[in-house]
Amino acid sequence: MNDRKVSVVEKNGYQKQVLAIYRFISDHLYFNRPDIEIKGESYNSTILLSLLTGLTKGKELIIGEPGLGKTTSAEFICSLVYQFPLGVIWGSEVSGHPEQTEEKIIGRPDLGKLNRGEEDVVWTNFSQMPVKIVDEINRLPETKQSMILDGVDRGNWEYLNEMIINDEYCLFATANYQDGGTNTLIAPLVDRFDVIVESRYPGANLSFLIGKSRGKEQILRHPKYEKDLYRVLKSKIAYEKKIPKLEEICNAFGEFVHETLEVKPLRREDRDRIRTEMGSLDLDLDASAFARMLLAELSFCERYGQKRIVENCEEGCHYTGYLCRQIKNCASNRLPTSIKLFSQGLAWLLGDSEIDIEHVKAVMPFTLSHRIQWKDEVLSQKERAKRDDPFQIFLAKEAVKTVSQRYREQSDHVKDALALGSKIFQGESLEPLEGDHPIYTEIKKDIRHRRNH
Amino acid sequence: MKNACSKKKTPNPLQQEVHDTLNPFEEFKTFQFRKTEIPLDQIVQSTEVIMDQIRLGYERLLEEEAKELVWMVQYNTIIKAYEVAEKYIKEIDYSAEDIEDFCFALESPQKIPYLIPGPAGIYISALCNYAKEEEIVLKLSELKTEINLVGFRLPKGKRLMVEGDTGDFTGIGLEGGELVVEGNTKNWTGAGMRGGKILVKKNIGLHTGEWMMGGEIYVGGRVRGLGNIVEGKVYERDKLVFPGKARYPNLYY
Repeated sequence: MNDRKVSVVEKNGYQKQVLAIYRFISDHLYFNRPDIEIKGESYNSTILLSLLTGLTKGKELIIGEPGLGKTTSAEFICSLVYQFPLGVIWGSEVSGHPEQTEEKIIGRPDLGKLNRGEEDVVWTNFSQMPVKIVDEINRLPETKQSMILDGVDRGNWEYLNEMIINDEYCLFATANYQDGGTNTLIAPLVDRFDVIVESRYPGANLSFLIGKSRGKEQILRHPKYEKDLYRVLKSKIAYEKKIPKLEEICNAFGEFVHETLEVKPLRREDRDRIRTEMGSLDLDLDASAFARMLLAELSFCERYGQKRIVENCEEGCHYTGYLCRQIKNCASNRLPTSIKLFSQGLAWLLGDSEIDIEHVKAVMPFTLSHRIQWKDEVLSQKERAKRDDPFQIFLAKEAVKTVSQRYREQSDHVKDALALGSKIFQGESLEPLEGDHPIYTEIKKDIRHRRNH
Repeated sequence: MKNACSKKKTPNPLQQEVHDTLNPFEEFKTFQFRKTEIPLDQIVQSTEVIMDQIRLGYERLLEEEAKELVWMVQYNTIIKAYEVAEKYIKEIDYSAEDIEDFCFALESPQKIPYLIPGPAGIYISALCNYAKEEEIVLKLSELKTEINLVGFRLPKGKRLMVEGDTGDFTGIGLEGGELVVEGNTKNWTGAGMRGGKILVKKNIGLHTGEWMMGGEIYVGGRVRGLGNIVEGKVYERDKLVFPGKARYPNLYY
């Protein structure tokens, strides 16, 4: 099975093509330092995670100080992964501001037809394009954030009883740190982002270099193809018929980029095959057991059955040493989905035949940090700790490290407990394993449920 | 021509899925489960087996000697109950720690449904007398119930130390052993003892040393009342109170 997967990976060689895109961006377009090490290789987390977002049809929130390349990094990725010239990407971006309206984000009535008494929708470029960038999303008022919830989640855009469905789409949103003009992102919207990453200051020397190399975005522009793409996007034909036309022009632009820049963007069929390959990768047992252990800590409450933001921990609880004690809310079901999606992407990119614990550990902090609400005492305790990451990502990395340490100590026992759980589910008359971690209680709960039904 | 009725029915996959319970541990199906036993598991397991045997002995004692859950403290009943207890205890391989665990199990209705202080005390005494260890320490200070008859027939060469208080008839019929009670004892302590030593760190109740035939009783606190002592010595705060002129049987003071 593993051999088969490896051979698929080697035959297609898409990894090389994607890594070439990564290198092209880091060498020519987005200068920054490597800040994450995976299996002995160093990467820049912003480019790496954005690349995986584009490949996996994910959703990424990029945070950072103004002017540190949040939006541009997303634009470069979108341009090279989806073969769109930058001019079209800019024209489809939604900028977050208090006066933003549904008509500018999703679609508006066709006024000409409306005058004739007919109802039709003119869809925005944002809603039609497979690459979606929402700039400064936290400048959207909280009431208007819910407007894009459904579209962000499922790719369904509705206006005036009409709907278009994005078959393939990824989303990048940028957010500045809290200032006078920003709002809080509502929890349901935050939860819909698979990952969060910071676009960091590259350091004085690289920053100086960026200042010298102005106009680098011109290399990913092409006025003719941009006009052609705009024409198709504006045309009145059905959305489903627009997609092949858009892809045709995108392929032509991709050829142009390949010829001029010697980097080969990904065609639609390439992306589809990459996703099929990614989808065939499964978590190995350690990765699965570790992820379950972390999820158990983020959702467990012995007293009230599960974590709830409205309930507080009991004094003298036996599980004081675990993450459940340090957080307010419960892990959502989207968290394991994001972990698996991005671990799959990373494992595929590194050419591995299975998702192992290293892949999971690498992506976990970025899938976790925006979803956890830490208790005030934890925040005040760790606020002044020495760190390189933004506070939320730092806390998530620390949490993953702690659970990883716990997993190292009892990995065999956890796997035994899960294997035993499987045997009991198959009907064997056995007793679940005991252990001092929420995961064992969770296993017992599942078994009890099985026995009662 | 094919008969329509003979066509094989293909199972509907959706229907099948509904009937099968989703196994959340499916991916661990092939993982070879290893039953790893750590030393603690073995200790816990063997302790539980022994405790079951001790509990069974106690329950049989109750069945035979306290059928109506009523037990009168009389010379004959004590002797008979002790003989029954001896019979079961001789078959068990236990340690002093198991005796202590049994004392605490007595207070847990889930483990032992009936606590009748008389037979329970006889049984504990028999356990102490037949234990392998020469010195036994019972930490009973957390126990809510005061156990009667602790130290019954404690033989020569045995030393029983009790942390906490004990009930009535402590150390009766002592046969040369040494019984140390860190707390208080109640009435009839040392009654009928033939030899050995009883040391009570705090106070002692009425009828102390009733019909004692030998041995010594040392009391760190106060003696509430002495019994009809035949022979032996009783000390109260290092002062000999029996034999002595000023003391009379059951003198309250």
